[in-house]
Amino acid sequence: MDTTEALALAKEVAGAWTWETELVEPEENRLDIHLKNAGDLAAAATEIQANRLGYLAAITGIDLGAEAGELEALYHFCQAGAVITLRIRLPRENPVVATLTGIIPGAEPFERELSEMFGVTVEGLRAPNHLYLPEDWPDEVFPQRKDFDPAVLDGEAERSV
Amino acid sequence: MTTNTTSERFTVPIGPQHPALKEPGAFRFNVDGEIVTSATVRLGYAHRGIEKLAENQNWVQNIYLFERTCGICSHTHATTYCLGVEKLAGVEVSPRVSAIRTLVAELERIHSHLLWLGVSAHEAGFDTLFMFGWRDRETVMDLLEMISGNRVNYSVNILGGVKVDVTPEIVEQILAGVDLLEERTKHYLDVVSTDAGFLQRTRGVGVMTREQAEALGAVGPTARASGVARDLRVDAPYLSYSDFPVQMILDDRGDLEARFVVRLRELFESYRLLRELVTHMPEGELATRMPRRIKAGETVSRLEAPRGDVFYFIQSNGSDKPARVHVRTPTVCNMTSVVKLALGHQLADVPLILAGIDPCFSCNDR
Amino acid sequence: MTTLQERWQSVMDEVRTWARTNSPWVIHFNSGSCNGCDIEILATITPRYDLERFGVKLQGSPRHADVLLCTGPVTRQARERLIRIYEQMPEPRFVVAVGSCALSGGAFQGGYNIMGGVDQVIPVDAYIPGCPPRPEAIIDGVVKLLQSLQPALED
Repeated sequence: MDTTEALALAKEVAGAWTWETELVEPEENRLDIHLKNAGDLAAAATEIQANRLGYLAAITGIDLGAEAGELEALYHFCQAGAVITLRIRLPRENPVVATLTGIIPGAEPFERELSEMFGVTVEGLRAPNHLYLPEDWPDEVFPQRKDFDPAVLDGEAERSV
Repeated sequence: MTTNTTSERFTVPIGPQHPALKEPGAFRFNVDGEIVTSATVRLGYAHRGIEKLAENQNWVQNIYLFERTCGICSHTHATTYCLGVEKLAGVEVSPRVSAIRTLVAELERIHSHLLWLGVSAHEAGFDTLFMFGWRDRETVMDLLEMISGNRVNYSVNILGGVKVDVTPEIVEQILAGVDLLEERTKHYLDVVSTDAGFLQRTRGVGVMTREQAEALGAVGPTARASGVARDLRVDAPYLSYSDFPVQMILDDRGDLEARFVVRLRELFESYRLLRELVTHMPEGELATRMPRRIKAGETVSRLEAPRGDVFYFIQSNGSDKPARVHVRTPTVCNMTSVVKLALGHQLADVPLILAGIDPCFSCNDR
Repeated sequence: MTTLQERWQSVMDEVRTWARTNSPWVIHFNSGSCNGCDIEILATITPRYDLERFGVKLQGSPRHADVLLCTGPVTRQARERLIRIYEQMPEPRFVVAVGSCALSGGAFQGGYNIMGGVDQVIPVDAYIPGCPPRPEAIIDGVVKLLQSLQPALED
């Protein structure tokens, strides 16, 4: 399936979904599907896989700031040159999302990164310990959030020779 | 007399400092005798927080930052970033810029595959291939130095163009270098496909089927060696690949031998492409003016690095610094497969299985 | 100690220093670098540069090493391991910081996960700048370090 076919099929498939979505085409090779309800993510991802609309290439987390009070998670599926993205919004206070590793085993490192960098609780994730951050990293400190203050790490790395 | 059939269960730690690993990564293999029963990997030794650093530097400074995500595929990172930012700013670069970027990208692919050939042979204990391969790799390093001034981190990209030009003298040297390398690559392909000792280490070892590769989301030559047809240069041509196409190299065996063969055969494609490219270089300006502040928006930029596809998500809020850059490197996709592939194999096979996916921990950890 | 024992001790010291400076055993550790410096270090043992003709042997265990070649800005995760490796090396031991990141953190200065240079964690004897330094520069740095150890023979 080439880029144009993939985009056309994705629009068709997503257009037929019954749950609340908004379809946006920000660039000629991209289709963004904003899912109004974050709980629909797993079902939407299953549909994308079932229609062979690409492999899960990346999960991007964005902190929209303390004022907006939300985080955004983008799940990018790539087929040829087309990028089909499922976008969900999560509340900053207690962001929870279901894992996709049951349907897409390759999602594990992406979800672990989302979890440790932004503080998103990914339910059902098999190994929720740190992937990139060191073992002595303080709990509840999420470096890619906008309000991350590096000063909280001072005093953590005392030992030297 | 009863025989004692209990076997020893043992955990073998490998890394982060280990003669076989040139990069830090800690593996723990639970073995039953010599057979690996389970494996875990601890990454993050090279996590430098690049995505966060990028938010505090301007668009131009970030080229130098992203280049240093990985020393082996530095041009790919810089080009992906520049292409993304140029798309956001709505700036079109000239065909000559694209051609020069493609040229350096293919030279990088050659250097990376030859590097990998040597390092994997070293993992297999085949040091002769390592030394010969790296001796020949010096030809490519000389070409890169001639074009850009540095052997590693060549830094030819600027936003809106390139810093270097390809003169007729350079073209001559590239053609001579490619001829030499092609001769040598034929020899290496012969060695990895027919040397009986090497084949015992690679044939039928670490098999990943097509279904497994698709389920685990493998990319790059690792996936192509299992029959998954994924190559961005073919699927979605960027830079000059629409004018100078490459063939996708596939293999359906999925074992280590297939991974060696796919990468070596890709080298032949690169040589062919280089010859065509330097003899038909398009004209054009070397740099186009770029604004200091980039228009607000989001873009996705993808390129085929030597290890697989690199994915950049770049978001701008209209200022002179990026709002968010997310980098997904190919090794992240391929690393999950290693832990699964190692199961059931002998411990001695594990370094080669790891080397077979061409791991780049610094790309992985960013 | 009798004068014979003293004499024997000083001869052994001379032999040890001679062996160390003429054939140092080197261990390489990557504390989180981009690999650029590491591939140039590997290039020094390949045929074009061939560090082994100076008697330098690149090998695996810290307990056998005289010189530690360290690259990378030292991430927090690697810091403990770097200290442990340094402590495992028998004295006299020398540390060479290779590349801008090992000198000062390089392009990653200010990162939340890096210490900012090898000398923030362990004492360093020689610094080789470059991003990455050419193999010739690495060889030059190692040879300079060895030459600086020579005066110890003279007194």
